[in-house]
Amino acid sequence: MQETILSAGIDIGTSTTQLIFSRITIENLASSYNVPRVSIIDKEVIYRSNIYFTPLKSQREIDSEKVAGIIIDEYKRAGISPSDLKTGAVIITGETARKENADVVLSSLSNMAGDFVVATAGPDLESVLSAKGAGADVLSEENREVVANVDIGGGTSNIAFFYKGILKGVCCLDIGGRLIKIENNKISYIFPSIKELANNHGISINVGDRADEAVLSKVCDLMADQLAMALHFSKPDDFHRKLYTNDGKPLPDEPKIQAITYSGGVADCIYSPENKETFMYGDIGVLLGRAVKRHSVLSNLKTYVAKETIRATVVGAGSHTTNVSGSTISYDRKKLPIKNIPVLKVGRDEEMNAGAFEKAITSKIELYKPEGELEQVAIAFSGEFHTGFKEIQELADILIKAGDEIIKGAYPLIVLVENDIAKALGNALNVKLERKKEVICIDCIYASDGDYIDIGEPLSEGRVVPVVTKTLIFNR
Amino acid sequence: MVSENDLKNIIAQVLNEMNLSGGSDQRPSEEIKTNSESAPPNEETTKGKFVPDPSKNVVEDGCWDDVAAVSLQKQYLVENPVNGEAFYDLKQFAPCRLGIGKAGARYKTDPQLQFRAAHSAAQDAVFSDVDQDFVDNMGLFTVQTMCDSKDTYLTRPDLGRKLSEEAVATIKEKCKMNPTVQIYVSDGLSSAAIAANVGDVLPALEQGLKSYGIDYGTPFFVKYGRVGVEDQISEITKCDVVCVLIGERPGLITATSMSAYIAYKATVGMPEARRTVLSNIHKEGTNPAEAGAHIADIIKKILDNKASGTDLKL
Repeated sequence: MQETILSAGIDIGTSTTQLIFSRITIENLASSYNVPRVSIIDKEVIYRSNIYFTPLKSQREIDSEKVAGIIIDEYKRAGISPSDLKTGAVIITGETARKENADVVLSSLSNMAGDFVVATAGPDLESVLSAKGAGADVLSEENREVVANVDIGGGTSNIAFFYKGILKGVCCLDIGGRLIKIENNKISYIFPSIKELANNHGISINVGDRADEAVLSKVCDLMADQLAMALHFSKPDDFHRKLYTNDGKPLPDEPKIQAITYSGGVADCIYSPENKETFMYGDIGVLLGRAVKRHSVLSNLKTYVAKETIRATVVGAGSHTTNVSGSTISYDRKKLPIKNIPVLKVGRDEEMNAGAFEKAITSKIELYKPEGELEQVAIAFSGEFHTGFKEIQELADILIKAGDEIIKGAYPLIVLVENDIAKALGNALNVKLERKKEVICIDCIYASDGDYIDIGEPLSEGRVVPVVTKTLIFNR
Repeated sequence: MVSENDLKNIIAQVLNEMNLSGGSDQRPSEEIKTNSESAPPNEETTKGKFVPDPSKNVVEDGCWDDVAAVSLQKQYLVENPVNGEAFYDLKQFAPCRLGIGKAGARYKTDPQLQFRAAHSAAQDAVFSDVDQDFVDNMGLFTVQTMCDSKDTYLTRPDLGRKLSEEAVATIKEKCKMNPTVQIYVSDGLSSAAIAANVGDVLPALEQGLKSYGIDYGTPFFVKYGRVGVEDQISEITKCDVVCVLIGERPGLITATSMSAYIAYKATVGMPEARRTVLSNIHKEGTNPAEAGAHIADIIKKILDNKASGTDLKL
């Protein structure tokens, strides 16, 4: 039996704001005489909003009221009311990705985005979401290849690459279509690193210069060179390192990238460069697209057409952030949904030894007391070393002992396991705690230290819960 | 027509291959030598047949790896595959005997031995008894159906669905009557499944019922039991829900798979469709402890809906 849920994705970026609605279909794929196995079997984008320039109060501050206005209009146009939505994500990306912005956007959207999350996405999460929106992960899984998606936006290029569908790394560079802006045929803005890049190669460009297509094309060629370096197709020069956003790290050089997809606004100028006037967007986006397309190394790569281009990130946020838990889990219905829970991860080495397991929890729990009081926290581990009934009882004892502060506190005891043992473990916890503490114990969820998770309202007759895992830190 | 001389040669070869020629193997090998003169040197073939040369046999020390310990999913034996990696990835989805290569038209030695080992394990699972110590250590008392031996059990399914008179008396004496749930364990067609899973499934199931506040009766073990005997047990104990943990007919992938058959107000002669089943409980299938917790969940749904089998939509 299939069940569909509606998900919203809202991306509030430095330059544009977009919204999509998608329909996620879940189904129990197991036969009736087996343990249920509820999975997401389809994700379909059913509504795409216009693309708006993000209303800003200042360069760094979002005008949240105007954003709310845009969203209300788009809900109406799509004929969808907030109560239809079961899950989704609002992400704030780029330079506006600051906690203050997230807070004001959250409060102004709270009626519309009720039960789902507002997150500020660092460049790493943005890379992953855009690559998933572009479909690079699926291409890599189906073709058993190493596929990288290069999301070239206005300010940055976000790269994520996958092998056999598994994320292998992300990076973010200050290369984008709006890093040089053109007004009235004159250069009106140049991002400092791009100016330096041009100067290093003997090209002098200055604000106020006439927008010379030949000169700017050369600058775009240099930017395309830098993308080839980032993908490890050519040897990085001395300057390359300086282009990583927020001093980020480059991609790992293994496995070797075999194919590429492009997304972001500039991608449309790569896939279909014809019929585009050079300075139609008041920036170098079209030129950058042409430069990537004719680049001696990049043009020879196997290139797939991305599923989404300019909307890749918002589709990623709306369709690819939600997962479903395992189908045999244990939870307290009254406590769901819960949002923005930081994850405390116990490493595999620590899991193997009861003492180390306890210590890992009790020592790390101190990190979740920003103002002296314990915040909500979810304890995550693989669960691969406690699969028998007896071991699961031991595991429950460890959690009860080490999680004493949580159990005495106001928030539920939240446990995330990778291995399929959550129902047995949840029962053990409930029996040992004599049902005096709310326990949420779910499995088939992979989370790491630094992640935040949301757990939504149960689906599929209560068998599963939707889970959004937000990986905010990737490079460490 | 085969000439007399040819026939002699063939017989000699066969005898040689079967190693039945005993001490007089000198003559056949001479025959072969004369025959192989026409064949190119270094070719141990006679008329297209492989002829082992006993003088070249080498007895090696060492032993073959335990064939039963090989993971079907990890072993990929095709030589010169077009894309072995992709095939290997596909194999990870199910433990099938695929991508195991071949020697001519036959299995390679290793898969052949594995296949026979799996078959032996399946036979052992059916024909051996559950270790009585295991049953006793689980705190289960033992009763028997009307079958007096494995042979009767296998040839008379009807007797495996009825308890002996002594069994009826023992259950009446030892079991709590009118429980909400009556759980018991039975060997069924795989004793190995019981030994492998009950230690995890039963306590997890009991703990699950406890966490729901559902009361359950005294569990026990039924030797030589078929699923249908649960109906009689349901009638005797007057339980609302009866649940048997029983060994499944073994296959060649696993001999340790167990099922739970659960019925609401079961009565002798009721339609089979009234049973709810959870199958495939084993290490490589559904984790036994998790399965136990899930069975408790199913039982709760059965009690809530007062129905089981096809009457209950899970």
